Amino acid sequence: MTLTQRGTGIEIRGLRKAFGQVTAIDHLDLDIHPGEFLALLGPSGSGKSTVLMALAGFEPPTGGTIRIDGEDCTHVPPHRRNIGMVFQHYTLFPHMSVLDNVAFPLRMRGVAKEERRARAAAALETVRLGAFGDRLPKQLSGGQQQRVAIARAIVYNPRVLLMDEPLSALDKNLREEMQIEIKRLQESLGITVVFVTHDQGEALTMADRVAILQSGRLQQISPARELYERPANLFAAGFIGEMNQLNARYDGARAHFSDGTSLAVPQTALVAPVPPGPATLTIRPERVRPVAPGSGDLQGVVRDVIYSGAGTLIIAELPGGTEFRARISSAGIAPPAAGAPLGFALPPEGLLLYPAAA
Amino acid sequence: MSQQNWMLNAFVYAVLVFILLPILIILPMAFSDTDYLAFPPKGYTLRWFESFFASSRWMGALRFSAEIGLLTALCTTVIGTAACYALVRGAGGLGAVFQGLLIGPIVVPHIALAVALYLFFQQTGLSGTRLGYVLAHTVIALPFVVFTVAAALSQVDPALEDAAMSCGASRVTAFRLVTLPLILPNVISGGLFAFIISFDEPVVAFFLAGIRDKTLPRMMFDDIEQNLTPVIPAIAVLLTLLSIVVLLAGWLLKRAAERKAPAAPSEP
Repeated sequence: MTLTQRGTGIEIRGLRKAFGQVTAIDHLDLDIHPGEFLALLGPSGSGKSTVLMALAGFEPPTGGTIRIDGEDCTHVPPHRRNIGMVFQHYTLFPHMSVLDNVAFPLRMRGVAKEERRARAAAALETVRLGAFGDRLPKQLSGGQQQRVAIARAIVYNPRVLLMDEPLSALDKNLREEMQIEIKRLQESLGITVVFVTHDQGEALTMADRVAILQSGRLQQISPARELYERPANLFAAGFIGEMNQLNARYDGARAHFSDGTSLAVPQTALVAPVPPGPATLTIRPERVRPVAPGSGDLQGVVRDVIYSGAGTLIIAELPGGTEFRARISSAGIAPPAAGAPLGFALPPEGLLLYPAAA
Repeated sequence: MSQQNWMLNAFVYAVLVFILLPILIILPMAFSDTDYLAFPPKGYTLRWFESFFASSRWMGALRFSAEIGLLTALCTTVIGTAACYALVRGAGGLGAVFQGLLIGPIVVPHIALAVALYLFFQQTGLSGTRLGYVLAHTVIALPFVVFTVAAALSQVDPALEDAAMSCGASRVTAFRLVTLPLILPNVISGGLFAFIISFDEPVVAFFLAGIRDKTLPRMMFDDIEQNLTPVIPAIAVLLTLLSIVVLLAGWLLKRAAERKAPAAPSEP
């Protein structure tokens, strides 16, 4: 019995979900490719879980359509969708053995007892829990329980696997281990995965593409690398990782700061066209290079120096009072002392310019 | 052992004696060989138990009470479990009102309830019928079933049913295969409670009794009025034994359920 399967695509058009006066999802368009690992990332209340629940069929949408493999599933009840789902808190059936838990979806599909035991055992083998079939869920650790839940969700070769913050209840080390394991499993099965998380590190590590949601709207959907290196807008830039943000006035070629200094803006810094006027110039802290006071592009005063093993974070204050961060390798030269003046060089290839937030 | 502990123990035993003494006094009286109630009895016999089981009147009442008790247990568990599901899982709204109404039969004195039911049943022709008894006893026993089942249901994660549905189970199947087995020990012990409440119930039975069909407690009242013989303590002893057996069964059931799902997770 093999568990190879091909994932299918999902097409979401104009999806809307309102709870009374509150709009949880606002005209969302999203294409999920067959066999893709897509992360839905956003702060709490961004609507990411609601999107997942609409895909699973637990939250009937207020408007719009959901097509799975070309078939309109918008109002199909959850148990007819043939979708695998892994919940936040494992949700194993406590009165059934691990094997019976994994065999449950096959039982619902009328598979004969002998076959479903064999297939459930194979699925348990896939998540490396082959020897645990006779145990009760309560006799397993949290990580093992979540692996059983994954086995239960993939045993019937579903078209899509939905995961709702499945690792948030696990401790940090186990979580990182499971991230790699789930990613490996997804690649070997070729199944389409939609994965909801509020942990950006998790999204960047696991997903082929990451969709960022805020207030029920899609902010950006891109491959992980592009999302980090070239965020589409200021929200995405601030939400993923650390980002220095400097208020400036853009004249079409240079960014002018309030203290009278200015900086040339290369064309590569424009992810999208930026009209002349108020703008925000951004740069990742690890792109910034501290230099001797008086030289470089910006001048500041060191406030804090935070050592964290491989890297050291320098937090400085610019003349206008703006906070500015630089991350340097701890192995380099000795970091400056707090209170000392410091210059910062901003390499042109690290700069990104966005229209100022409204 | 400290002074305080000794006094507490003495107090607890005194309360137990106070509660159990009437039952202990009934016990020898059931075996008295006189035709009237005597304590302590002069001689001992099993004749009153024999005459109870030999009498078609008593056996009829016993069968009638058992029928009503079983039907009441059935009605209360089905209605009570469904009501509980709505109360615990429902989105609120009328839930709080309904919960208040449920406590009604516990708070309102049974005599008041009995008079109300009597008047209502006279109008509707339900007086003295099997259906009338079952309806009345269901009202009285329902709160006990609801509270017993609610205690178990509130411990069951609602997401389990979602999980079952994502596995391909309909909502009904998800309830039947996942939620129901998890609350079943409480549903059954609620049903046992309802049976005992109905089986022992004297007040409503007093008002609702027809000429022909009488429940066991009602028949006992008749007998006390007309000819007080030791058959009454004999029946009292049998009823007490039944209650003990049912309560013990409920307790064993819960213990078996707890053993099946051990609370402490083992090491990975």
